[in-house]
Amino acid sequence: MMAQPRKPSLDSVTSINEDGSRFIIHPADAQGNFKRWRRVTALMLIGIYILLPWIPINGYPAIFLDVIERRFHLFGFTLAAQDMWLLFFLVSGVAFTLFYITAFLGRIWCGWACPQTVFLEHVYRRIERWIEGDAPKRRQLDAASWDGTKLWKRLLKHSLFIVISGLIAHMFLAYFISIPQLWQWMHEAPTEHWGAFVFVFAATFAIYLNYTWFREQLCIVICPYGRFQSALIDDDTLNVAYDYQRGNPPGHVKDQEAGDCIDCKRCVQVCPTGIDIRQGLQLECIGCAACIDACDEIMDKVERPRGLIRYASDRNLEGHATRWIRPRTILYTGLLFLGIAVAGFALTSVENVVAMTTRMPGAPFYVTDTHVRNQFQIRVVNKATVDTTFNVMVQASGLTVPIETSGFENGVTVTPMDERNGTFVVQVPREAFEGSFPFLIEIEAEPGGARIIREVEFLGPDPRLLKGD
Amino acid sequence: MSDPNKKYDDKLRPHVYDGIQEYDNHLPNWWLWSFYGAIIFSVIYWFSFYDAEIMKSDTDIVDAQMAEVEEIRLAAIGDINSDALWQMSRNPGFVESGQVIYMEKCAACHGPDLKAGGGLAGVNLVDAEWIWGNQPMSIYDVVTNGSPDKTKGMQSWVAELGPKKVSQVVAYVLSYHTEEGMAEATTLNTPVGL
Repeated sequence: MMAQPRKPSLDSVTSINEDGSRFIIHPADAQGNFKRWRRVTALMLIGIYILLPWIPINGYPAIFLDVIERRFHLFGFTLAAQDMWLLFFLVSGVAFTLFYITAFLGRIWCGWACPQTVFLEHVYRRIERWIEGDAPKRRQLDAASWDGTKLWKRLLKHSLFIVISGLIAHMFLAYFISIPQLWQWMHEAPTEHWGAFVFVFAATFAIYLNYTWFREQLCIVICPYGRFQSALIDDDTLNVAYDYQRGNPPGHVKDQEAGDCIDCKRCVQVCPTGIDIRQGLQLECIGCAACIDACDEIMDKVERPRGLIRYASDRNLEGHATRWIRPRTILYTGLLFLGIAVAGFALTSVENVVAMTTRMPGAPFYVTDTHVRNQFQIRVVNKATVDTTFNVMVQASGLTVPIETSGFENGVTVTPMDERNGTFVVQVPREAFEGSFPFLIEIEAEPGGARIIREVEFLGPDPRLLKGD
Repeated sequence: MSDPNKKYDDKLRPHVYDGIQEYDNHLPNWWLWSFYGAIIFSVIYWFSFYDAEIMKSDTDIVDAQMAEVEEIRLAAIGDINSDALWQMSRNPGFVESGQVIYMEKCAACHGPDLKAGGGLAGVNLVDAEWIWGNQPMSIYDVVTNGSPDKTKGMQSWVAELGPKKVSQVVAYVLSYHTEEGMAEATTLNTPVGL
């Protein structure tokens, strides 16, 4: 028997049958303004995803997360592993942006920008529709026995799905190894790069499985964002909503007692997660606005005003204006600017060079006939795109004892993206030594003029031991 | 099944927390199967990791990799003898690489002209007196393992430089000497590395 569209209820998830098996949803196509703008948005996002690794900025791809060399190139800005702390701003920034946008526009991310929706609705389902036909035809094909037509349609569909999943997986890898490297690896045997090969293979399979079969289950069962919804939205948040005051009770178009909803169930047919929006806001709703387009089309036909289903807040549905400025959004906006200011300050404080001082292995200090000696290693990293020379000296001001240094006399020149580890020896004449003291090592980088100052301790024996003889 | 309200009542669980009740819907089968799969996997994984020794433990992997490092290091040392070091010291490419390393790591104590002195901590490397042996292999040993006298501050460099760079820097020092001249130089202690 052919599976009919199921009647959605608030008691259970439409896409899971009572025995736990999957109910495959075949949403009908809705045409309209939102569909058009969502498609434009989706194509733009897919374009950005594909193009970013190809656009060179300052000699590197616009985004190149070089995990092998531990260098992260972001729009001409290069970060090293030492700058990992900046990740705090990225992670907290992304989370906060989600909060901020959700306070105003609800789950706009899900319906318009999430890769799950973008690839599913605008790539995979389009191909499915192209090969298998519209929703009723797809349902028919599901129920049909395995004849030649079904076989070649399914073969063609799944082959295309696998190819596209492979492309998405390869582009993803390109963000981490760059396009030329990817191209080269693709021409070499899998055994040369097992890790990358297995990754792309597994990613292709996971992407294929996700967009072919798993689909809305990810949004409904796995993705935490839908669960946050109940905490993130309030009475003034815009959601895809049914105007129950205007629409209820649903009835025939000629029924004078009925509301504006003619109970055509078009909104249910187009829903990709299988809900009935007229039952109110539900966690399955990904805010894709397909039901808005569907309802507007019907309202035009029955010559009633559009917007029976529309982007509206709960307050708006009760007949009041949505309050955009409210304590929560004022607080969020304040926090947003604070976050931008702190992140901007942090980013500008990142130097093109890194320098670290460590004591050399062995004894902490050495005593010779004439001197007390401390040995250090200074690691310098050049993240700039030009050769950089590092000069190292001890800051003399504030020191009460004479100090002699050697190492780095002529500076150490480091090529771009390289690092060096040089020896730096500090000595104090034996008779002048008055005990351990802290001092400052100053590392100067040219060109750029960056100065890095490290405080270290000059260690030695108890000075009385030296003066005893 | 004929009475939908009865079914509804059955599904609603009796417990209430803060006014929230829950339905007893069937879990998605894919969810159940991934859960069962994880249980089966954990048993197989546990068995193969801890009991059957089919999979290597982290310790085994590290040990194997360290053995590989040691093997490469030993192989490199095997090729090195006093004659080979003399040959390297006459090779401009080798000496040039050695000079770069010397200036970065060694000049701080031994001086950029290898003569030390002037308050520098190291020993003179171009005079006719060797503390730990007048053979190239003795110099190689001191650079690799550090000075046998741990109070002097010449550290072991093999961890940082690796055998190849050690031989390059020794070749640079030897480029200031001749085989005959070295043979006549005095040695203060029992030679090392021979």
